[in-house]
Amino acid sequence: MKLIRKDGDEFEFEFEPVEKGLFFHLLGLYPAVPVSYHKLTKGRRIPHEAENQELLNDAIRAQREENQKEIIALVKDAARFTDGAESTRAVFQRGELEWLLQVLNDVRVGNWIAAGSPDPQQEGKMRRDKKSIQHVMLMELTGGFEMLFLSTLNGTLKPGGEEF
Amino acid sequence: MPKTAIPEVLPDIKKAGATDAREELDAGYLVICWDDPVNLMDYVTHVFQTVFGWSRAKAQKHMLQVHNEGKSVLVRETLEKAEFYVHQLQKYTLYVTLERDKK
Repeated sequence: MKLIRKDGDEFEFEFEPVEKGLFFHLLGLYPAVPVSYHKLTKGRRIPHEAENQELLNDAIRAQREENQKEIIALVKDAARFTDGAESTRAVFQRGELEWLLQVLNDVRVGNWIAAGSPDPQQEGKMRRDKKSIQHVMLMELTGGFEMLFLSTLNGTLKPGGEEF
Repeated sequence: MPKTAIPEVLPDIKKAGATDAREELDAGYLVICWDDPVNLMDYVTHVFQTVFGWSRAKAQKHMLQVHNEGKSVLVRETLEKAEFYVHQLQKYTLYVTLERDKK
């Protein structure tokens, strides 16, 4: 996958078929982080903590429902994904890339949690079972798309430059 | 003697409510980002820039503080604003909480 055109806040990418399939697969894993992962506070010293935590949970649930609808609309958007003979091109606006970062990072963190929250600095403690390894692989693949979009947004990735 | 009983009760209620409101309006709530081994350093920097409108240098400084020291106090705000920032940062799946400042 690579950035092939930048025009102001509009970015065009080219996907190989396997990259497009992988991108859609990762988006389909959203949401991956349990709502309970998000805590308003650790200290229990804020007014109305329980109510505020419940409001936060409600906001997260509502946002997830909205994001899921947006993801379904995105992957079905035939006008956005233009299939060529050997690749697919798609145009995204800056705000859409920002949103995709949120979605992809949820998938990344969710897979990290599912893999037992491994710390790469303590490789010896990482789970070695097949399921955990799959989660780690999904986490790393998601990170690859994130880095591509981050480099695009901060301008370090030039059109026609490095590929993911 | 209801006329004397009522004034004895009302000030207490009013006082309790006023204290709650004062606490909530006090800019004494810290938005803290905690270290985790999953969020990419570039990603965290980008999120700080996006949510707070910070320069890249300032965002990187806080990101490195999270990475090296385990946490960084991002802003000190009223309860309402702190909750807003926590929600914005949690949309990006950062590990963020708000805490009452001990000062």
